[in-house]
Amino acid sequence: MDRFLGESLYHRSFDNGLKVYVLPKKDFNKVFSMYSTHYGSIDSEFIVPDTKEHLKVPEGIAHFLEHKMFEMEYGNVFEKFAELGTSVNAFTSYNNTTYLFSTTSHFEESLKLLMEFVETPYFTEESVEKEKGIITQELRMYEDEPDWQILINLLRCLYHNHPIRIDIGGTVESIAKIDVDTLYKCYNTFYHPSNMILFVAGCIDPEQVFNLVKQQQDKKGLSSQPTINRIYPEEPDTINEQLCKISLDVSQPQLLIGFKDIDVGYDGRPLFKKELTVAILLDILFGKSSELYESLYEEGLIDERFSFSYEGQKDYGFCAIGGETKDPEKLYNKVLKCIAENKQKGISQEELERVKKKFIGGFIQGFNSLEFIASSFVSYYHKNINLFDYVRVIDEITINDLNERLKLLFNTSRHARSIVLPKT
Amino acid sequence: MSNIFTHKTLQNGIDLYICPTNKFKTISIYFFLHQNLKSETATKTALLPYVLKRGTEKFTTSRSISLFLDDLYGSGMGGDILKRGETQIVSFFMDMVHPKYVEDQDIFDKAMLVFADMILHPVKEDGGFKKDYVNQEKDVLKRNIESLYNDKFNYAIERCFQEMCKDEAYSIYKYGNIEDLDGINNKNLYEYYTDCLKSCPIDIFVMGDVNEQEITDKIEKQFYFERGKVIEVGTGFSKKEVKQERFVEERQNLNQGKLSMGFRTKTRYGDDDYYALMVYNGILGGGTHSKLFSNVREKASLAYYAFSRIEKAKGLMVVSCGIEFDDMQKTIDIIKKQLDDIRQGEITDYEYESTIKSLTNSLKEVQDSPSSIISMYLDGIINGIHEPVEDMIYKLKKVTKRDVVEVAHKIDLDTIFFLNKK
Repeated sequence: MDRFLGESLYHRSFDNGLKVYVLPKKDFNKVFSMYSTHYGSIDSEFIVPDTKEHLKVPEGIAHFLEHKMFEMEYGNVFEKFAELGTSVNAFTSYNNTTYLFSTTSHFEESLKLLMEFVETPYFTEESVEKEKGIITQELRMYEDEPDWQILINLLRCLYHNHPIRIDIGGTVESIAKIDVDTLYKCYNTFYHPSNMILFVAGCIDPEQVFNLVKQQQDKKGLSSQPTINRIYPEEPDTINEQLCKISLDVSQPQLLIGFKDIDVGYDGRPLFKKELTVAILLDILFGKSSELYESLYEEGLIDERFSFSYEGQKDYGFCAIGGETKDPEKLYNKVLKCIAENKQKGISQEELERVKKKFIGGFIQGFNSLEFIASSFVSYYHKNINLFDYVRVIDEITINDLNERLKLLFNTSRHARSIVLPKT
Repeated sequence: MSNIFTHKTLQNGIDLYICPTNKFKTISIYFFLHQNLKSETATKTALLPYVLKRGTEKFTTSRSISLFLDDLYGSGMGGDILKRGETQIVSFFMDMVHPKYVEDQDIFDKAMLVFADMILHPVKEDGGFKKDYVNQEKDVLKRNIESLYNDKFNYAIERCFQEMCKDEAYSIYKYGNIEDLDGINNKNLYEYYTDCLKSCPIDIFVMGDVNEQEITDKIEKQFYFERGKVIEVGTGFSKKEVKQERFVEERQNLNQGKLSMGFRTKTRYGDDDYYALMVYNGILGGGTHSKLFSNVREKASLAYYAFSRIEKAKGLMVVSCGIEFDDMQKTIDIIKKQLDDIRQGEITDYEYESTIKSLTNSLKEVQDSPSSIISMYLDGIINGIHEPVEDMIYKLKKVTKRDVVEVAHKIDLDTIFFLNKK
């Protein structure tokens, strides 16, 4: 029970390694569930646990697998969910693949169905070929989205070898190489219960969930699997390229500035603390309450969509700052100047306290949403982080942490720029 | 299940809706000002929330407001424009953490004061809004209008409706027109705003763990000002007959073609057959159980997304998907076949039942988010309907396949818009 939030979290571990978490919200109408594996687009090289085979798989296969999981021997599992009136979906990120549903009735059947289809791989050559047409259109759609293209290009600038530089969905060429056999190998490696988490939030009794899961897992009789050996290429501390410029059919230029974080190699609470420290830092420097934001806005260099974020994982981290602008060069110079000045003068205690308050309030507000609770908990869980440590970690952050992180992360020798220009 | 709003009309005619509930961690205040969507005023209306957000008499800059809100545990305040049929709505919201979770019992009063000040006491200069702010926001709005072009998904839908409703107010973009910006200055915009406050219908919503009487008194005090006769605002619902199907093509440098097909449903929210239309839309393109998902995506592998959506105030529907450029005709044929099939009554039990269950599920889910609850209630106000969710679900469940076929016969394809490559 978290007295601060007035919420309780229930937890059960199963012998095969599966972890289940339930957060009841009795006065909500729906139940929202996420079933997630710690397997994303960057896991394209690994040792198959039982055969010890060293495998390098086509780019985009984790995402392809996600699409194909919905296929069952009897047909499409979408239909079964639709018959229950339950909406089901899935998404693949660089690090995780997550299946989710929400329902206001038929929770038991929906949860059984979710576990059943995620735990039943069924791929045929014909259906794999057919999916290539659908995913090609998904990739084409992203090719026309400037926000996505500018980020991918930034990551290609920041990284030499790490697979984060490759699109989550792969390319039309790489997905053409995907076959049934490789899909099964990926499935068997990464969809083991010991690599997965089930999170349920909403109007539900935790014991009911645990009992359902137990019945389902007992049927399978799997034992725990040792840690998966994932292989990532050696990534130098330097950046790959300083600048990437492309032209798209857009109305005005876009700029994204990135800094490569080389203080990596750890997860858990230290990673949580780093993430929140950087988030506070970014808010102080570039948020709506900052001097920089005010002057950029008044000069017409940015609008409300100006944004900044930090992505922190065990093996990589980067921050990205930017948005649409009429003058990418000027915006770039102003952002860098602001960073240099702040490194000089340092962040003040007052600024830190203000943003801490804002973050704590934002965190509490997030608990209005089952989707926020589930998706934050799950993505943090895969990094060995407990979401419920949030307020304690925020409390821990000192002004020294902030100023040290400022110098460490915003090292100008490790930054790059991605620009999208309108086609002329 | 229902979140009941109590309704009270304040002395000056503002409608206040309060829903005391302890389901959420927040207290939300929403403000809506309704205006008819007209070319003469659309751009001015669109500028209002952006100019008003820039400063109050007390907090004269956006930054000072933002600093103040950070200190109120990151209370979120914002404003934007909504378009529902041929109405344009200036909307503002304020979401704050309920004081019981933090050590600041005055959050509500402080937050409401800055919220009311933003709307009623903006920073002024020479009898108008502050000049610099108006000029900057004109520039921001111009870029905002232009940036629709970058979002090909929404661009293709918006352009389809624009072509289809060329001679109707509905063709006006919710953010207005770039050409109108030149004629707007700090003074005429302020005058326009003063008129709007006097004559446009205004709704205020409050939702959260609050005492109804206490909130009513506070709102009554903060939002009291003289108003005149309130205008009628209409959604421009039309039963326009389609004389001939049109095809419009536009070319850009693209990797994927975007197909949008615009229809006239001649049915609006409040009509007896509205729920039949909802079911129709669900069967056609409202999810993974729909004909479009199964035939355009799953069977023919032509698209990643393919759906239909209804505009319930004006009486329109759009079908949209992203495809290879060369597949356009093939895709149109498949889509038309689905519409024909429904008209012929070829609706499986699976399609029909899944649709009703999925719509019921969505209606119940709305009740789990303050902004969705308020938005649904607002839709009711706009269309002159007051019905609790239970009634909606009841009516939905009563829809038969025959009702769906009947409503299908009213639907006409008006315009096909295709975003092609250069």
